[in-house]
Amino acid sequence: MLLDVSGLTSGYGKVRIVNDVSLSVEEQEIVAVIGRNGVGKTTLMKTLVGLIRGLAGTVEFRSQDVTRMRAAERAQLGIGYVPQGRGIFARLSVVDNLRMGEQIGGRGKAPDYDRVHEYFPILKERQAQKAGSLSGGEQQQLAIGRVLVGHPELVLLDEPSEGIQPNIVQSIGEIIKRLRTEVGLTFVIVEQNLDLINAVADRCLVIDKGSIIARLDPAELADPEIARKYLAI
Amino acid sequence: MDVAADVFSYAYQYFDNIGFLILSASGLIIIFGMMGVINMAHGELMMIGAYITAFSYHAGVPAPLAIIFAGIGAGLAGMVLERLVIRHFYKQLLSSLVVTWGLSLMISQGFLLIFGPTILNVPTPFGNFPVAEQTFGIYRLVLFGGALAIVAGVWAVFTFTKFGTHARATMEDPDMADALGVNTRNIYVLTFGIGAAMGGVAGGMFALTATISPFFGINYTPLAFITVVVGGGANVITGLLSSVMALASVQTAVNNLVNVYVGYIAMMGAAFFILLLLPRGISEYLERRKIRTERKVSRSAPA
Repeated sequence: MLLDVSGLTSGYGKVRIVNDVSLSVEEQEIVAVIGRNGVGKTTLMKTLVGLIRGLAGTVEFRSQDVTRMRAAERAQLGIGYVPQGRGIFARLSVVDNLRMGEQIGGRGKAPDYDRVHEYFPILKERQAQKAGSLSGGEQQQLAIGRVLVGHPELVLLDEPSEGIQPNIVQSIGEIIKRLRTEVGLTFVIVEQNLDLINAVADRCLVIDKGSIIARLDPAELADPEIARKYLAI
Repeated sequence: MDVAADVFSYAYQYFDNIGFLILSASGLIIIFGMMGVINMAHGELMMIGAYITAFSYHAGVPAPLAIIFAGIGAGLAGMVLERLVIRHFYKQLLSSLVVTWGLSLMISQGFLLIFGPTILNVPTPFGNFPVAEQTFGIYRLVLFGGALAIVAGVWAVFTFTKFGTHARATMEDPDMADALGVNTRNIYVLTFGIGAAMGGVAGGMFALTATISPFFGINYTPLAFITVVVGGGANVITGLLSSVMALASVQTAVNNLVNVYVGYIAMMGAAFFILLLLPRGISEYLERRKIRTERKVSRSAPA
């Protein structure tokens, strides 16, 4: 088991947003987390990354308890994070943004820029440019590429399709699948785009009011009744 | 010959004013420009540098080494301040203003209690050189050169080192840097320490030209803030250089046309007008223009 979460509760101050969430993710799985806006998906991701402290419950990564660890320590163990809104450093150049990923998965290991440029050739072309000047799709590639410079085992993607053209969403889906088979990565993806979920996910966790209320097969989301029930679309 | 001497004198004053502004602001471009901390005690860090320089010099240490000691001492003092006080007030602009102002009073009054109102000055080295009928101090040129060297050093550290990249990223988005494995706590302490050390070196260099008292810092803090605010935080180096060139040219021109007091007021007026036109400073404007052109270039390039 790569990621094992049990009874996780977290929030801001005393307001609980994530409530008693338990889930586990096997190596090389792609798990989608879905749900309406404001139900706690992003808060769950931030708690898994370590940017928000859990109020209760535990997070284990590779059977190691990381519940009390800071985000930086978790990253060094091999958890890569691609946040909602992409979180690129707009004032840094593209190549400096990539350098920021070198610590992921252990500082001793050599960074792998060739791999990043193989998956995202545009990042080599644009390397001297300020990251803020990239288009939305390019920024999303940069955010994923930045994690890939290091040696992550688990990648947490928060709404990778947000604000991106459909054809680029499709190619990001292709790359996620390739990264699973070619690099052996595991993904947890928060997503609202049903096409992307269908294309990549092995299974779906549905969140409402901070708790997991259903576990679905992605194919079930093709049924408009089910999609409407859980996503209100 | 007279015209040539006047031109030289004008240029000398211009570079002297630039050097003065750069040195005053050099530490604060890191602490306020990059980190966004309103550190009203910055002048006191410079004062600590001046005291260390004076005491070391009178203990027989050569002046250049004494100035390096000043940087180390002020840098360490800055790191202690960051750990104990400043870190609790990041992102709280008004609180940090009040707290650091209090610190500034405590430090200067503390020095007054311990060392008294003045200490033995350090003589200005190198003497003068004549041009036509006028004489000029050599050390003023050293100050200008030192100011440029400090700016170049800071630029190199923040551009080429891993620490520099981590620091710039942390200042832009500390959570994201944390999530990528950067120990942001260390980055904050070290960055603040570097800013404080630069203030200490500047204080040490000024110690050779000025009366050293517990209130030494008050001469520099306002000018330092004005220079940094006019420059803006988007790119501290281009901000600092464009800001000092603009302010020093106004100051030097009015100094010569009217007098030094009006020159000082004119410089403040210039700062006021620049901020009216570019409220986030000169470098913010330059950076935004750069990003706009890069965006155009990448759109027109074949995909």
